[in-house]
Amino acid sequence: MSVGNGASRDSILALRGITKTFPGVVALDGVELAIRRNEVVGLVGENGAGKSVLMKIMIGLMQPDEGSIMLGGEPITLRNPLDAIRNGIGMVFQDGSMVPNMSVTENLFLCHENGFSNLGVFSLRSMRESARALLAELHLHIDVNLPVAEIGPAARQMVEIARLLWLSRLYGRDNPVLILDEPTTVLADKERETLFAILRDIKKRASVVFISHRIQEVIENSDRICVLKDGKNVTEMDASDARLVRIEQLMVGHSFSADRFHQDDQGAGGGKEILRVENLDRAGSFEPISFTVGEGEIVSLIGLVGSGKEEVCKCIAGLEKADTGSIFLDGRRLPMGSPSSAVRAGVGHIPIDRRSEGLALMMSVAENVNLLVLNRLKAGVLLSPARERKNAQHWVAECQIKTPSISTMCANLSGGNQQKTVISKWLSSQVRLLILDHPTRGVDVGAKDEIYKLMRRLAKEGIGMIIMCDTLEEDIGLSNRMLVMKDGRLMKEVDSSPRSKPSPQSIISLIV
Amino acid sequence: MTSVRARLGRLTLLRKWFPGPVVAAGVWFRRSGVAAQILTLVIVVGVFAIGTRGKYLSWANIQVILSLAAIPAIFAIGLHPTIVLGGIDLSIQGVASLCAVFVGVLLKNQFNSNDVGLWIIPISMAIGGAAGVVCGVLNTGLRIPSFIATLGMSWILYGMAVYVGRAVNVQILDTRIEKFASATLFGVPQIAILAVLFAAIVQVVEDRTRFGRYMYAIGGDEVIAKQAGVNVDRTKIAVFTIAGIIYGLGSLLLACRLGVATSRMGLTLLFPTVTAVAVGGVALTGGIGGAKNAALGALIVTALNDGLVLMHVSPYIQQAVNGVVLIAAVALTIDRKKLGFIK
Repeated sequence: MSVGNGASRDSILALRGITKTFPGVVALDGVELAIRRNEVVGLVGENGAGKSVLMKIMIGLMQPDEGSIMLGGEPITLRNPLDAIRNGIGMVFQDGSMVPNMSVTENLFLCHENGFSNLGVFSLRSMRESARALLAELHLHIDVNLPVAEIGPAARQMVEIARLLWLSRLYGRDNPVLILDEPTTVLADKERETLFAILRDIKKRASVVFISHRIQEVIENSDRICVLKDGKNVTEMDASDARLVRIEQLMVGHSFSADRFHQDDQGAGGGKEILRVENLDRAGSFEPISFTVGEGEIVSLIGLVGSGKEEVCKCIAGLEKADTGSIFLDGRRLPMGSPSSAVRAGVGHIPIDRRSEGLALMMSVAENVNLLVLNRLKAGVLLSPARERKNAQHWVAECQIKTPSISTMCANLSGGNQQKTVISKWLSSQVRLLILDHPTRGVDVGAKDEIYKLMRRLAKEGIGMIIMCDTLEEDIGLSNRMLVMKDGRLMKEVDSSPRSKPSPQSIISLIV
Repeated sequence: MTSVRARLGRLTLLRKWFPGPVVAAGVWFRRSGVAAQILTLVIVVGVFAIGTRGKYLSWANIQVILSLAAIPAIFAIGLHPTIVLGGIDLSIQGVASLCAVFVGVLLKNQFNSNDVGLWIIPISMAIGGAAGVVCGVLNTGLRIPSFIATLGMSWILYGMAVYVGRAVNVQILDTRIEKFASATLFGVPQIAILAVLFAAIVQVVEDRTRFGRYMYAIGGDEVIAKQAGVNVDRTKIAVFTIAGIIYGLGSLLLACRLGVATSRMGLTLLFPTVTAVAVGGVALTGGIGGAKNAALGALIVTALNDGLVLMHVSPYIQQAVNGVVLIAAVALTIDRKKLGFIK
């Protein structure tokens, strides 16, 4: 409380003691956030720190379990985004929240067209003129007749900002609160400068909550900075006092227990080479990159969104096609852009979104586990139910998948057990290299531990792994070696053997 | 923003070569949403004008095309909003059959003493509308995909139509509607004028009312529309209801033109109507295309079939041509790159 009280005295919007729990996870734990008039508040925290849940609560997409939202000193309830808009709170989403087929004008006034209506018929001319005037206020030159899908991400953000400002005026809010969720990730350098110029301009009549992973940018463009970690306020400081290193320390925290990632089980790695990537290059995604992964080695790819690490992994899994370069698995060259040959060669890919890409949710555990090895489970030309059962039971026991039976639908399993099912699917196909894209995302603490253990065991059995994790701690804790990427370039290779784990701070300064 | 800049660049280049009004007209034409359809129509007309040595362009033949296109256009105008929503309506055959049976039973006929006169217009539209409400409620309330809900409804309604009409051909003795439809005004068939007016009204509703906006917002992105405050369920039910009402009007006109009302009347309507909507450029992925597209689509399909008849092409080949046209139209209107996979 001590943090929030001082700030909330003259605040326009204040969140008090916001708590939100999901099954198995406390997303927010008594979070305080106060936003003053004409102020830009920077909100920083690692992935999973609770920023996005907090934002969803602020715009009525989620309800807090405990705590209150105060607007100008009065408690308010936000049941849906429209309620938030009426109270002058709006959000510009990272991936946009406008209807792509409709024009800029139509999107600007969507659902609030009454002022342009005469006996139920809109005046298109006055709508267009208002749209132009509105955009001119922000010094924007966008063709208001173009469909939003055609104007580019930067222009889309500006239009959304214009819409929120207009709506708050419509509902008589003189100092609206705009929430910008990682607006700069989709922007080019020059567009970023434009956005910040507009931010400085709208600060005269609005408050802004600015979320970004680029800490330097937050320091330069906000008045005050709030740091969230593990769903709690860590601290709050004036941007003028803020130092990059200090914030990074606060974000990552100090608590670091060695056994959390079962580091005692970490192998030496660097055995026989399994994967060799040579001068792999994909225009617009990453620059030529070369590295190897050895038997039983866990290599972590580290970098921000847009660093190119996801694309590198997709190229190895055959989901995307690199322009030049080559990929060798066990010394044999893999054809590019063919997921089926990658699978046959022994590359397993565990995608970030297991519910839509990793698993057939409507199929049983057994069907999922057996999916890649159906050929081996045949008796003659037909599948043998007995062999299918045997293979599934073997892997369910092996990976300790907690399921009522092997014929249970995967949709009914918990996140952790779904993830173990995905992993066992690959193990069953005798995979050589596993790419794990955020393997513990959306998984509770207990299941996380089991997944860590499983990974350690796989490494012992000689499977090579490339991982991209939710937090830096996880990356450092799990890996033998780390490859740090930034803006499509491999910046540095960092050793992460159990005795000499680097500190998160030293890594974070390399990636931002 | 880059795309905007690229566009402006291209425009300035055009301005160098053409006078201002021509460029403005070109931009307007491209943005009208029916540019491809008008070009298609011009090509179809051109090919047949040459193929028939001008016979195709005689005023008598143009009158035939216009009057034949009117009723398919009305059906297409009814169907297209359900596709704009991102769904589809397959109930048209059932609805039209049921309406036709009621038209036969209620208008002056030789089987009973009923004679509701012009009241048949609201009655037929109300029957269609009631069927549409049910489709809409099935789709939103029970959350049944529109494909299945309306397909099921089509056969339920057709069954009712056969049961009520006992598969009898009822001669329509009240010829007032037929007379109005086949009369001409300044040489243009009145039924075609009716269809054009109707398309214009629906187009205005789509462009310039809150309901129309909501329809396109849902078709573009239902989740975002909902977050912006669109009452999605109510809009969907309204769209299916309006579709039903328009089918009611269409089947009344069709029965009157045929002079005979029978439950079988609806059975051949679905394919040409869906073809017209697709050819008109209404994207099957939702959110794009309006009444003008639906009406133009019907005109293109009718003009094509009329030309094939004039060229003495076998009717079986004509059917096959229509199938090709449907697939080609969808291939050209849908941006399939945006779809993850095709079901």
